[in-house]
Amino acid sequence: MRTALLAAALVTGTFLTTAPALAQDVAKGQDLFNHKCAACHQKTGLGVKGAFPALAGDPFVVGDPELVVRTVLQGRGGMPTFAALLSEDQLADIISYIRQAWGNSAPAVNAGFVVTVKTNAHPQDKAPTVTH
Amino acid sequence: MPAMTELPGAGVTRRHFLEKAALLGGSAMVMTALNAWGAGIASMTSAPPALRGSGAGHKLLILGAGVAGMTAAYEMSKLGYQVTILEARAFGGGRCQTARKGFKLTELGGEEQECKFDEGQYLNHGPWRIPFCHRSTLHYTKTFGIPLEVLVNENDASYARFDTVKGPLAGKRVRQFEVRADMRGYTSELVAKAATSGKLDTGLAKDDVELFVEYLRGEGYLENDLSYRGTEGRGYKVNPGAGIDDPGPGVPSTPYAFPDLVQSKLWRMVQSVGTFDQQHTMFQPVGGMDRIAKGFEKHVGHLIKYNAEVERIRQSDGGVTVDYLDTKTGKRSTISADYCLCTIPVSVLRTIDADFSDTYKQAMALLSYDPVCKIGLQMKRRFWEEDDAIYGGHVYTDAPGINLISLPSSGWQSAKGVLLGYYMFGADATDMSGNTPAERTAIALDVGQRIFPQYKENFETSFSASWHLIQYNLGGWGNWSAEARKVAYPVLNKPDRRIYLAGEHISYIGGWQAGAIESAWHQIAQIHQRVAA
Repeated sequence: MRTALLAAALVTGTFLTTAPALAQDVAKGQDLFNHKCAACHQKTGLGVKGAFPALAGDPFVVGDPELVVRTVLQGRGGMPTFAALLSEDQLADIISYIRQAWGNSAPAVNAGFVVTVKTNAHPQDKAPTVTH
Repeated sequence: MPAMTELPGAGVTRRHFLEKAALLGGSAMVMTALNAWGAGIASMTSAPPALRGSGAGHKLLILGAGVAGMTAAYEMSKLGYQVTILEARAFGGGRCQTARKGFKLTELGGEEQECKFDEGQYLNHGPWRIPFCHRSTLHYTKTFGIPLEVLVNENDASYARFDTVKGPLAGKRVRQFEVRADMRGYTSELVAKAATSGKLDTGLAKDDVELFVEYLRGEGYLENDLSYRGTEGRGYKVNPGAGIDDPGPGVPSTPYAFPDLVQSKLWRMVQSVGTFDQQHTMFQPVGGMDRIAKGFEKHVGHLIKYNAEVERIRQSDGGVTVDYLDTKTGKRSTISADYCLCTIPVSVLRTIDADFSDTYKQAMALLSYDPVCKIGLQMKRRFWEEDDAIYGGHVYTDAPGINLISLPSSGWQSAKGVLLGYYMFGADATDMSGNTPAERTAIALDVGQRIFPQYKENFETSFSASWHLIQYNLGGWGNWSAEARKVAYPVLNKPDRRIYLAGEHISYIGGWQAGAIESAWHQIAQIHQRVAA
């Protein structure tokens, strides 16, 4: 399915950036968020003051979906890249969840959109980790 | 052995194959576990800068009593500078910490852990290795008389087990020497046979080809017919001993089949030599890495204000002013100095109210920090030594993100031991850190149990650390992307007016104590030069 979406994106060059979130997407997204993201951002979405930004009520999270997807793919500051660890479907579920949880209200994103952003992303934005 | 026809076919030259063969070990870099061997970064500076003159009458404020801050304090106070260090923690060392009985840690958003290891047991949850080439770190261990011992960083007799691979070796525990011997043996056989049959363009004169084959014969333990059929170096089925036949000469082991080995991907462990900073000889301080922190503190402890959390940084034409909070008393104070060396990790520094220039702030924003996790597991019996004859070194696994299990290089043959149960990075580390300490322990035990059946029954107590969740660090170490290294790193190497940065992140020896020390050396030389001018 992912390949098909990618092919579609490449052929038409267009994408629905957002789609109505299916209930199960957000539920899956919540579960993934609680496992993969809550260590820093907390299950409450409130983050840790002075260390990890709150996602609840954050204009960035409910803003331009491309920037949100890009951040999760590439990492930023102390945040690692999740491009290799999570599938496009999983990333779409998580991002849809954080855009609609804790009183946030923004359209969900679909896997195809994540694929598009990933295709345009710079893979070397973070250097590989070297052990010490 | 496969026939030559099974070598890469049309369009691929024999030389290309040779290059491929030589690069077999290079695939180690695919695994983060073996990124230890990935990039050669080494410290070549062996002594502090020889600074002349005096710093008397000049105030130097150092932020952070980690290895960088204490290095600067030690050297600059010797020159006569009036040095003060503000340290947010109640102890010096920064990330140079050792967890032993009574050590407490509460990660951000997490529950408090108190280390319950037995007396004498410890985990270096921060830095744990000192490579032979880090002459700057070794300069201070020598200067402060800190006893060192060898850390076994490679152990051929140790185990590996890969589960997510194909073939008969999937899920099978092997000794690393079996894989090393067999991969080099088979590869040498292929190359030697090709070279002697004229099927390989070696670019060598005929006499030199003979020398080359002689090398391959030794490298790969080849028989007279240039075949690899095993070697005692890969271990025995029954070790030799006394008597005539029990065990007498012992029973040799049989090599794994070449296709099975190739499919197993166990060759990820094999490389001719490690990168410069992972080779023999690797050291550790006797008793724990924080012996280094204590060594510095013995000399500069009187200059440190502990529990002093920096809240605000301001500069004027005449100096630097820093507001800080005494986290014990709640009292707020202000301190001024002529110059400031700031060793606070940038992950933390960018959350502090500071009047750095926009250029400086933008540069700081480009530096990312690596999430890093470790866990120490105390075992009531050193079964890896007693049952398996493995003394130190690492066990390799492809369990997701775990990378390695490392066996202790101290307390040989004693009753108990603390082993490193995982060493995780990046998204795997953030994933692990979302678990409670008890959940982390359960995951680590499941992984170890697959390799050692004695694992769970011997487990007693654990201590885990997630550096990205540790206040005053917010990450294991700085991670410069190629782009950030190009545009931001040079900016942060220069001062913002009277503030200079130091720490592992202001070096090309990132994540190592040598990087912290040498960045301090580099920056104090700049400060002193400016003062003397």
